[in-house]
Amino acid sequence: MKVGILSFAHGHAHSYAKSVLALSTRGVQLVAIADDDVARGKAAANQYSCGFYRDYQELLKTDVEAVIVCSENARHAEMVVAAAEAGKHVLCEKPIATTQKDALRMIRACKENGVILQIAFPVRFSRPIARLKEMVDERKLGRIVAVRGTNRGQNPGGWFIDNALSGGGAVMDHTVHVIDVMRWILKSEVREVYAEVDTHFTSIPTDDCGQLVLEFENGVFASHDPSWSRPASYPTWGDVTLEVVGTSGVTNVNAFAQHFDYFGQGPRPYSHQFWGDDMDYLLIRNFVDVVEGKSAPLITGVDGLRALEVALAAYESGRTHKPVPVHRAVLE
Amino acid sequence: MWRIGLVGTGTMGSVHAHAYSHMEDAKVVGIVDIDEVAGTELANRYGAVAYSSLEALLAAQEVDVIDVCVPTPWHREYVEKAATAKKHVICEKPLARTLEDAQAMMDACERNGVRLFVGHVVRFFPEYQMAHDAVAAGNLGQIGVVRTMRGGQYPTAWQDWYASPAMSGTLLVDMVIHDFDFLRWCFGDVSRVYAKSMLGRDINRLDHAFVSLRFNSGVIGHVEGTWAYPSGFHTELEIAGQGGLIAHKSDDAVPVHLELRAEQGQGQGVMVPDSPMLKNPYQLELEHFIECLTDGKEARVTPLDAYRALEIGLAALESVQTGQVVELGGVKE
Repeated sequence: MKVGILSFAHGHAHSYAKSVLALSTRGVQLVAIADDDVARGKAAANQYSCGFYRDYQELLKTDVEAVIVCSENARHAEMVVAAAEAGKHVLCEKPIATTQKDALRMIRACKENGVILQIAFPVRFSRPIARLKEMVDERKLGRIVAVRGTNRGQNPGGWFIDNALSGGGAVMDHTVHVIDVMRWILKSEVREVYAEVDTHFTSIPTDDCGQLVLEFENGVFASHDPSWSRPASYPTWGDVTLEVVGTSGVTNVNAFAQHFDYFGQGPRPYSHQFWGDDMDYLLIRNFVDVVEGKSAPLITGVDGLRALEVALAAYESGRTHKPVPVHRAVLE
Repeated sequence: MWRIGLVGTGTMGSVHAHAYSHMEDAKVVGIVDIDEVAGTELANRYGAVAYSSLEALLAAQEVDVIDVCVPTPWHREYVEKAATAKKHVICEKPLARTLEDAQAMMDACERNGVRLFVGHVVRFFPEYQMAHDAVAAGNLGQIGVVRTMRGGQYPTAWQDWYASPAMSGTLLVDMVIHDFDFLRWCFGDVSRVYAKSMLGRDINRLDHAFVSLRFNSGVIGHVEGTWAYPSGFHTELEIAGQGGLIAHKSDDAVPVHLELRAEQGQGQGVMVPDSPMLKNPYQLELEHFIECLTDGKEARVTPLDAYRALEIGLAALESVQTGQVVELGGVKE
């Protein structure tokens, strides 16, 4: 199976490229990288020993079966639609897009061209999170009543803080992972969102912190913190945590708890060294399985759309200071 | 020596009685409880006299301070009686169940020229006090997001009064009011409150709440309270600013862990976390109140602070019940 990567604008492209290489024994090949940032793209092509195209349309003319789209959020739609029209299966970095309209366009194009559209929500492949899902499915916690999530991090800078390319700051960047996991575990959609959104940590033209309170259709209520609130000295990049309260018990899950403490020297003398399973690798492996017909699609474009709609509602609430119903698009 | 009349021998009454017994310039001389057995037992333990009513105590003994540790709905009655008898008052938090009661209590103490102290003890927990001081010193720079968590298993007490929203106001008014008060101490007044809890969701003897706060200063707050854990008691505090991050989890700060093997046929063993200090926060709090009486200085937590914290708790409760945001406008002085 031949794979191409469209753009290295998002740093996750490196992790995905390494994961593709790690699947070489299964006959998976990273054939080429396309990037209009020539220096960045050529460096990556050199690093992963694959071809390079400045224009992603040229890459789409090759015989790759699938592409991984890691462009700026606002450019996902253009590339995913082009890939679909070229008959390539797509794994698209999250968030699916910056507008509901773009997300719907992407879903429609992939459906019409009979290609798979999967959204990169690797947290579903975290083994601790998957264990949580099992616990809930087995009703070990009884009936779920409340969920508290966090996905904090640091301001990534670059295009992430340019709303025209990112669609939003911390709330856009760090809401969708945890909302996706909550939807997946609760098997329910978010009905209403209340959010406080602001810029407190740095002087940037977009939001860097927020706090969401959510109500699901099935009566579960939740909260989520997507802030870029970790200081430079924090021992790791950030966190993904979930506390799930049920009628029979409570569980606290930290997706990155499997670490040892490292006390070294330099700018980050204390750090967490994660030794758990690599969720990005498991995401890519699942995508390959899906493309090869060995697994049913686990994370669809619609999952990406639903998470995006919650982030958009959070921004609306942040502006109006009122709880906002999630405007869910009706699918064809 | 400040002579204390203690009203109520539940959890907090017992904790206060124990704290006074370690203090040099205060002594519990009378203990009031409608349950005479409980009153006598506690009085005997600390060398005090038991009474079945505050009136009986006031008639029989000279006291300087009445310490009110009864369930919240009875705070006003006892505080007003104490104030009318010209006794200084220490009252457990929350100050009252309603703002009307709280105001009446503050007015009664002012009218009678007695001091009113409210037991917002979290301001006397060393970890919280240090966090406050770090914020006040500007060590964290501009603050962005603050988070607190507090709770454990569902509380059981006299006539199950915690389970009655009309009496306790749920964990929002009874328990996380500690965090509302602490956060106000650090970050000033709150402008906007939105909250969700299990109230009205048809589940008995479990509660859990998320409260979103926006402060006038712009700080965003998230307060989590729980009475849904199967066991234990946990607190967490996180303050994130431009200049640094404070993170505290009570479970990570337990210095002594004891695990006892179950005796044969005795079922499971027990785990007891222990955090020994020379003085516990309740003693620090009561010593501070006594010091304020002696020196006439303002307390670290004023009656108005307690009123404001109650305002936030009631706003959270209202938000849960209406599903709407509650704006806390006009700050009255």
